[in-house]
Amino acid sequence: MKHSKRLIVTGAIAAVSALALAGCSSSGSDDSTDSASGELTPVTLQLQWFAQAQFAGYYAALDQGYYEDEGLDVTILEGGADIVPQDVLSGGDADYAISWVPKVLGSIEQGAEITDVAQIFERSATTQISMKDKNITTAADLAGKKVGSWGYGNEWELFAGMQKAGVATDDISLVQQAFDMNGFLAGDIDAAQAMTYNEYAQVLESVNPATGELFTPDDLNVIDWNDEGTAMLQDAIWADSAKLADDDAYADQTVKFIKASIKGWIYAKDNPEEAAGIVTAAGSTLGESHQLWMTNEVNKLIWPSTSGGIGMIDEAAWKQTVDIAMGTKNETGATVISEEPPATAYSNDYVTKALDELKDEGVDVEGADFTPIEVTLKAGGE
Amino acid sequence: MKQSASLPRTILAPVLLGVLAVALWQLAVVALEIKPFVLPSPVSIATEFSSSVSSVWTSSLVTGANALIGLLIGAIVGIIAAIIATVLPITDELSAPLVAAASVIPIVALAPVLYTMFGADKETARQLVAALAVFIPVYLNTLRGLRQARPVHRDLMRAYGASSWQATRAVTLPGAVPFLFIGLRIASSLAVISALIGEYFGGPIGGLGKSITSAAASSNYSLAYAYVLGAIILGLVFYVVTLGLEKLVSPHRAPSTGP
Repeated sequence: MKHSKRLIVTGAIAAVSALALAGCSSSGSDDSTDSASGELTPVTLQLQWFAQAQFAGYYAALDQGYYEDEGLDVTILEGGADIVPQDVLSGGDADYAISWVPKVLGSIEQGAEITDVAQIFERSATTQISMKDKNITTAADLAGKKVGSWGYGNEWELFAGMQKAGVATDDISLVQQAFDMNGFLAGDIDAAQAMTYNEYAQVLESVNPATGELFTPDDLNVIDWNDEGTAMLQDAIWADSAKLADDDAYADQTVKFIKASIKGWIYAKDNPEEAAGIVTAAGSTLGESHQLWMTNEVNKLIWPSTSGGIGMIDEAAWKQTVDIAMGTKNETGATVISEEPPATAYSNDYVTKALDELKDEGVDVEGADFTPIEVTLKAGGE
Repeated sequence: MKQSASLPRTILAPVLLGVLAVALWQLAVVALEIKPFVLPSPVSIATEFSSSVSSVWTSSLVTGANALIGLLIGAIVGIIAAIIATVLPITDELSAPLVAAASVIPIVALAPVLYTMFGADKETARQLVAALAVFIPVYLNTLRGLRQARPVHRDLMRAYGASSWQATRAVTLPGAVPFLFIGLRIASSLAVISALIGEYFGGPIGGLGKSITSAAASSNYSLAYAYVLGAIILGLVFYVVTLGLEKLVSPHRAPSTGP
């Protein structure tokens, strides 16, 4: 009896140690940029949210083969509420990430070494919308109202606008807004946070109980943070700073990635319907007319480019974003960052190279003649 | 009766183990040069905690209040339901599948529905989510407690000629109290967790939940963990108060062993 018990225990310990040691072997991703003749380099892109036309350019570049033309085999990873794209990039699980500048500035201060290599969205799409009868047309009107915000780092433009207008967080009832407009439509939230390209359209796709028809823009008041002067830079392509400095292959790959992505965004500008279709086919749960609206609205944030070409990081806009990030307090009194970001936080070197190559090919990178299309929204966004 | 002769054992040993674990954690972060956005060090968490104590305190009050209301509602409904189920066994059979289903409803699915029903700007939905999480263990444990009166005690009551109410008062209810407290102890921490998770889906901002995610969104995990520490302390406070209540109600009995 005692012998077999000892044997079993020894065997069990051996088995467990073997398993533990096997699990400890590092499964480091072997991203050798071995560009043997004709072989594509695998590249991973981490998006900020689920697949939707907010990222139309990248999906279009993938679908139209622009990444392949540059020798890149790109895998697009969808984001979500709990995914912090800059952490995925810093952790080495993605080569590039799409994220908003204020969120990443916070991460950089926490030690993440990443660089903004292309500021795709030039203008902010965050708004605070309310029903016409509430008469909320500027930030100052928010005092005494129920104001919704998603949190998760999306709230800084709102707080900056309120701070600028002299409205303290105690003057409003701040409500946690879910990622749908049900609370707003039910009247529980007076002024709700809405992206021009998404939640605003969700309201316009809902039926107004008073009229029996869909809501129209005339039913809503919109506070645009661009007009209020507290807009912050949003979607940008982020890359690993250390690799950019040390790894020439990665630096070249970054220029290629930006160039192909920009071509994808130009495709989305010229072919919004096709781009919307590509994104819907990529697995978005939102309807087609909603995706078309989103593509169109996102195009308005990019074109016409006033910074010298799509992706160029404008110094003044960057400074405004940094100033707001340092000076705006949220409801707990915290700011995004407490000191200026390092010089490696952004770089125009890579996007300039990409734009120069595109301009040599005769591509219009400023889109001065861009005109948005008319999109008719249908109930539920179908 | 063995008094706190093993006081050093019961208090010192766990504290020592906790300190050792924290020290190892700090050592690991420093020695392996782990970046703060991967795993913050205990020292940085403590620093953030001490610099945001007032904010953690006010947030804990909000979450704690919701958890307390949920605990009270859930416990009262659970006890009443258990009593009804004992008195009318048929209700127990009818409700058993419902209770089983209710115990596995994910908060993620339930909270948005409750916010739409009761208002996305009210605390009600969070309190109901906590109440549901409390109801299940209290109901199940109280039911078990009410049923486990020993046959020999019941026979004794019959021999004394006690009325059913007297028998209940003398035997069934006191026998059920330890089980009730097992349920309450499980429920106390569940109430805090559920109230916190419920904060992600709506309601007024001010609780611990939003502070955690906002800090995490900027990769400020030291601050996020500081708020998590606040949530842990809140859960422990609830647990200890429930334990204290049990000692108060049945001082002559050792606290019932249970989770």
